[in-house]
Amino acid sequence: MFRYVLTRFAIWIPSVLVVMMAVYAMAFYGAGDPIKLIFLRAPGDVAYNPERIEAIRESAGLNKPFIEQFGLYIWNLLHGQFGNSLTSGRSVWAMVSAAAPVSFKLALCSITLTAVVAIPLGMIAALNQNSRLDYTILGSALFLWAIPAYVAGPLLMVGLIVFLPMIKVPYGWGGIFDVRILLPLIVLSFQPIALIVRQTRAAVIEVLSEDFVRTARAKGVPEIVVALRHILRPVLTPVVTQLGLVMITIVNGAIFVELVFGLPGLGRLTVQALTNSDYPVILAITLIGSFLVMVSNLLVDVLYPLLDPRANDARRSR
Amino acid sequence: MTIRKNQTASQISRRDALKLSLAAGVGLTMFGMSARVVMAEEGQVLKAINPAFDQDWSPLRGGGRTFRWNSFWWASPMYFDTEGKLQPYVFTSWESSDNKVWTFKIDPKAVFSDGSKITSADVKGSWEVASMPNTKSQRADQVLSKVQGYKEIGAGSGTELTGVATPDEGTVTVTLTQADPIFFMRLANHIIPVTKASQSRGSDGEEIADWYKPDNNAVYSGPFKLTSIDIDAGSLTFEPNENFFGPKPKLARIEISSIEDNVTATSLINSGEYNVHTELVTSTIIQDLGPEFSAGPIIPTSQHFWFNISRAPMNDAKVRQALIMAVDRDGLFKASYPDGPHKKADQILNSVPGADGSGFEPYPFDPEGAKKLLAQSSYGGPERLPKIMFVGISAPAIQAAAQFIAEQWRQNLGITAVDMKPQQDAYAGPDQNSVQIFRDDVGTRVPDAVSYLAGSIASTSSNAQNKLGGYKNDKVDSLLAEAATKAADDPQRVKLAQEAQKAFRDDWVFIPWYSQAMSRWATKEVKGMEKNLDWQVVAPWDISIDQA
Repeated sequence: MFRYVLTRFAIWIPSVLVVMMAVYAMAFYGAGDPIKLIFLRAPGDVAYNPERIEAIRESAGLNKPFIEQFGLYIWNLLHGQFGNSLTSGRSVWAMVSAAAPVSFKLALCSITLTAVVAIPLGMIAALNQNSRLDYTILGSALFLWAIPAYVAGPLLMVGLIVFLPMIKVPYGWGGIFDVRILLPLIVLSFQPIALIVRQTRAAVIEVLSEDFVRTARAKGVPEIVVALRHILRPVLTPVVTQLGLVMITIVNGAIFVELVFGLPGLGRLTVQALTNSDYPVILAITLIGSFLVMVSNLLVDVLYPLLDPRANDARRSR
Repeated sequence: MTIRKNQTASQISRRDALKLSLAAGVGLTMFGMSARVVMAEEGQVLKAINPAFDQDWSPLRGGGRTFRWNSFWWASPMYFDTEGKLQPYVFTSWESSDNKVWTFKIDPKAVFSDGSKITSADVKGSWEVASMPNTKSQRADQVLSKVQGYKEIGAGSGTELTGVATPDEGTVTVTLTQADPIFFMRLANHIIPVTKASQSRGSDGEEIADWYKPDNNAVYSGPFKLTSIDIDAGSLTFEPNENFFGPKPKLARIEISSIEDNVTATSLINSGEYNVHTELVTSTIIQDLGPEFSAGPIIPTSQHFWFNISRAPMNDAKVRQALIMAVDRDGLFKASYPDGPHKKADQILNSVPGADGSGFEPYPFDPEGAKKLLAQSSYGGPERLPKIMFVGISAPAIQAAAQFIAEQWRQNLGITAVDMKPQQDAYAGPDQNSVQIFRDDVGTRVPDAVSYLAGSIASTSSNAQNKLGGYKNDKVDSLLAEAATKAADDPQRVKLAQEAQKAFRDDWVFIPWYSQAMSRWATKEVKGMEKNLDWQVVAPWDISIDQA
């Protein structure tokens, strides 16, 4: 297993380097000059002096050739230095380490909420296949699936403000146990829940026709025991795979949710960095995002043998 | 606490009693902490919204949203009141015999929040650190560009403003590269506030990172001091500076929270959770928060639609004249700001001496005359005109105005090919070389007509070079150059500026739109939130909240 994890890391490093170089090139050759943007985005008129902007660019080391700048960035990265933001001068590491816990907590809670809500709902739907309950669950899942986070967030926010003004506006971050987190969490979990409900339902329906389920039922094992002991375990393998992929949906959705609900996480930081063409910050977030997706996929792979011993046998035989 | 089988509810074991005592202790401590919070909340608290999670609150940045709060925690050399009158602050007097060497005297009572004196070295150091490229001050140029040594320090080849001398700790002498009769006015703002130079500046002359935060024992020169800051959460708290050398502040605390969404911000202000905003621009602000919220004095800034005369069809003077005469500018203003707070503009100058009675004849609304002019132009009519493109069409009110203009051209001249882009200077679309109209503001931060026009119509201005496509009128330039040599209170200074504006009028290169109000962005209960022409809250110590 250790060798397997090492191999995955070895593959991840060059691919991340390529992605980072592409991102750096886009920021470098793109339209957004971070120093110019500081001046252009300032509200009200500013004394826009091209000579002064050039002096600031020079002092920030932005007039060096692309390869030199990128090489220096990677060299610093290898020494554990993410550099400073080009617009605020703050340490990128400080910015990212303040924002990342918010996003991680949000993502973990969303994954937990998704698992807790969607897996039982999917099982209930499958166990009541073609009933009204099944159609209701499936229909609701399809409805939720059709609403992306960037639509659900503002709609719910405006709905709460316009139609239910007595509710305190759920804006800002007060930690994961703050009541204000509920709405963003629900919005963020809409699509993952819908996806996992459908996935679980389909998997359970497939398992229901297996011989071992029929045998267990024939032996008079109570239905709840059949569901939890005989059906759930094989169903979890594809569902956990899907949960790993859902992480990407959550990371993407978090950008809009964090913006709408004013959460100071990586999503908001990403938008801010992109708007300002602040490429040290953009690169740090790219690195973290890539690492997060890789680790979540790795975790899924590691969990496979635990959920289904046949997966471990198959891996050994390869 | 569980009750065991051999224990009745009235009996409590020693262990449970200890647990109860512990719980009571924790409870009392918590209550005590809460009590302290309640105590701290006594008095008037200004709760403000900032529209972004700004990552940099250094007062030396000289621009951006955070700059709007500078006057709360930093003192400036002087300041303009709401009527545009100059008031002393850190500097109590200013004089020059030749407009080239200026002498300023520091108020002997002026101290920082730790009680230490504000000295001439602090003033010089603050100006120097703000001038250095690494500090990224957005508007140091505006204040110091004529000071000897600024060019070198601003270009990164120096660390000292050689033109600033400190003969004693209460005197600052400034030598300029050329005479400037209004140099003293340029200092009257919070662009480069007075900081304790030994805190804001390192041994290499560069700005020290995060020097202004309370964790670094920073001291402040303004009426309030920063007591907490969480940049990532976007929250700041200010409390009165007990050693402030000016009037005693009325507020007990100022709390700033970052809320990016305008709808949410509007709702929170409506519900009374907040009472002030840094800058809230929505098309329905009057309807949502009442006229008092965005009311304020008209400042020397105005918005117009500028024609790029180097691009077809604007290189034909008759086309320009036709396009301007075909627009009903009363309708244009009503289409964009029907309920204020701004004021329709006919000319560029406003809110500066000489703006009233300038002799600038407003452009007429004459659709028939416009049609004839277009027919007489080299294009012969609307059919052969190239597509007209606007940029800078971003906010809803601006969109309404641009659409109104396009509709007027369609109705009155038969022009149908008009396109609009939101971006402004950064516009980099494939057809950027075809853009002929730029919507943008021009203005001045000093109440001076020459400064206003030098930044908007003189051929050396960015506006003339970029938005107007290299506009140059020798008469305008010579009149403004001559005016700039006259003393600030010389009537000839204003007269020459007025003449320059009249000469500019005859070139037909802009559609006047509106003169800008400097909004309070505060609920009507908040008193004393008035700002001057430079977005500076004039007297932050006077702000109070009317709870009646």
